Amino acid sequence: MKRRSLDLDSYRLVVCLGPGGVGKTTISAALAVASASGGRAVDVMTVDPAPRLLDALGLDADASEPRTVALDGVRIRSAAAKRARLRALKLDPKQTFDAIVGRYAPSSTAREAILSNRIYRNLSGALAGVGDYMAMEKLLELASDSATDMVVLDTPPAAEALDFLDAPRRLLELLSSRAVTLLGAPAGLLRQFRLVDLAARAVLSAFDRVTGLNLLRDVQGFVRGFEGMYEGFAERAKRADALLRAPDTAIVLVTTPETARIAQAREFLDALGKAGLSVSAVVVNRAMPPLPDAREITAAKIPPALKQKLKRNLADYAALKERETRSLDALSEALPLGAQLLLSPELDHEPKTLADLASIGTSLRIA
Amino acid sequence: MSRATTSPRKDRLNPPRVLFVTGKGGSGKSTVAAALALALSERRPTTLADLDGHLAAATLLGARPDGDSPARVSETLDVVALSQRTELTSFIRRIVPIAAISDRMLRSRTFGYVTAALPGLEAFLLLERLRIMAGEAALHDRMLVVDAPATGTALELLAVAGGLQGLAPTGTLNRLAGEAQSFLLDIGRFAVLLTVTPEELALREAIDTAARLRATRVRIAGAILNRVPEPLFEEDEIEKIRASGIHHGLAQRRAAEGTAANVARAQLEHAGMTTFELPMLYRAAIGAREVSTLAHKLGDWLTMS
Repeated sequence: MKRRSLDLDSYRLVVCLGPGGVGKTTISAALAVASASGGRAVDVMTVDPAPRLLDALGLDADASEPRTVALDGVRIRSAAAKRARLRALKLDPKQTFDAIVGRYAPSSTAREAILSNRIYRNLSGALAGVGDYMAMEKLLELASDSATDMVVLDTPPAAEALDFLDAPRRLLELLSSRAVTLLGAPAGLLRQFRLVDLAARAVLSAFDRVTGLNLLRDVQGFVRGFEGMYEGFAERAKRADALLRAPDTAIVLVTTPETARIAQAREFLDALGKAGLSVSAVVVNRAMPPLPDAREITAAKIPPALKQKLKRNLADYAALKERETRSLDALSEALPLGAQLLLSPELDHEPKTLADLASIGTSLRIA
Repeated sequence: MSRATTSPRKDRLNPPRVLFVTGKGGSGKSTVAAALALALSERRPTTLADLDGHLAAATLLGARPDGDSPARVSETLDVVALSQRTELTSFIRRIVPIAAISDRMLRSRTFGYVTAALPGLEAFLLLERLRIMAGEAALHDRMLVVDAPATGTALELLAVAGGLQGLAPTGTLNRLAGEAQSFLLDIGRFAVLLTVTPEELALREAIDTAARLRATRVRIAGAILNRVPEPLFEEDEIEKIRASGIHHGLAQRRAAEGTAANVARAQLEHAGMTTFELPMLYRAAIGAREVSTLAHKLGDWLTMS
């Protein structure tokens, strides 16, 4: 009996973090399918899925609300089959942000003022941090549904580990900061503020003069628009933070075995540790399968020339395997206490179906 | 007309002042940028600008650039580290010359948000820096190789000048953005080199990136098809191996990787891209020796051009 890897049943929330291009969305979807096939009601929220993966989940590009995924071709544990359910959605940060503004804005005038503000329009587009914050908002919504046993969250590709986890706090800091208050303050009150805040204002004014962007006016409008909404944001940010630190939340770091990615993963682990967030597992995606035994070649009844080629082939892949092993060793050293190192073997094709995802989810093995 | 007597092909890399190397994460972008800089430096003085944050290319060349000062790899090769953050810092310092104030302001998260809200200011400043470096390089006849961010971020970086022009219809920023834009569109000064591996997703991303670059009229110098496996087995040999059952999976893998490389080659050609191939290095580590091997191969390509 092989050791069970990452006991998904004990979690209510799984957050998959990692750099871009490592197959984070695939692993998120695979974990969700695996858990649903174990008889649980699961939601998976993806961020930027490849078209094939959308197909596999039966989603189209604008599925911004959860849609039920038919678990065709996936074997369900019979005892719990009734409860088994998988829903998937694709995060739309802009739409989510607009909805929140709609919910918290004290009046329709205030709402319109925010929605048409240039700073807001840029903030709520693809820019740093806001996609992350919106994923968190949507997560709170999904997690509060009592009919759901577990939510799996795929996160936007990140250069740094805390880009995502820190998003609520960053937005709060922005909305509550003295410097921003200052930007909206009448000139007569300026004496109350620190030099650094005045400098920020001076720089923005200088920008305006040089660039003709009228940025200061927009920042003022933005801050004024959010007056009265702060409480609502603060409350939700606190809940999001508590959710991430809950004992039944698993933070899963996804990476691939390339040397550069492993180095990045180590930086992620370091940053998460410093932030007091515990990582439940590190999944190394697209890991090489074990190599066959060299002795098989000697014993084989094939022409000597072909034996030579097979030996050469084995030696070539052994070198690549060695490269991977060195990377994994470096990762093991950085693994925090209590975290599992899991390998997800590479497939010979891109995952196209739900069955592909299910097999990835069940073939995770402990390194 | 027989192949042997035709003159050298005309479509090979004719290096512009700046070669901007980008590709999907994991496609060997930094390794290729390091090797390319090394290869060019054997012909002309060269600077490698490492924009990658992790300084992977610089490290492969054994260089540790610190802050603003370049690190010297050889008589003809320098490495300099650039980042959006550093460029913003020096920009703010120009506006607020009192260091104590500008430093505290830069540390304030609020200010970070304001700049994030000003679409692409940091990215633009980085682009502006590259333009200035290209101008200096032209004066000293240096080549500039950029280890750029992965494709998504790289495309954003290349689009920022055009975006700012629209946002600031007048003023200094508009003028600077216009200059940056003409730098990017000047085929003698700037071109993108795409790294791609023979894998479905990487290939699709490269072709998509090429199409988007063409739409913005940025020159594509070509594609580097990286990690092309050395062919080992004939088809009938694969059959024999299958029949014997010995190491069939691994032999099959080698053959499949070869097929994938053929597909990639054909698709890149179909997409109209000049392609140069670098071999898969079956080595347990990629270090100075491997970069030098790749530089040698790239050197042959440059000599032909």
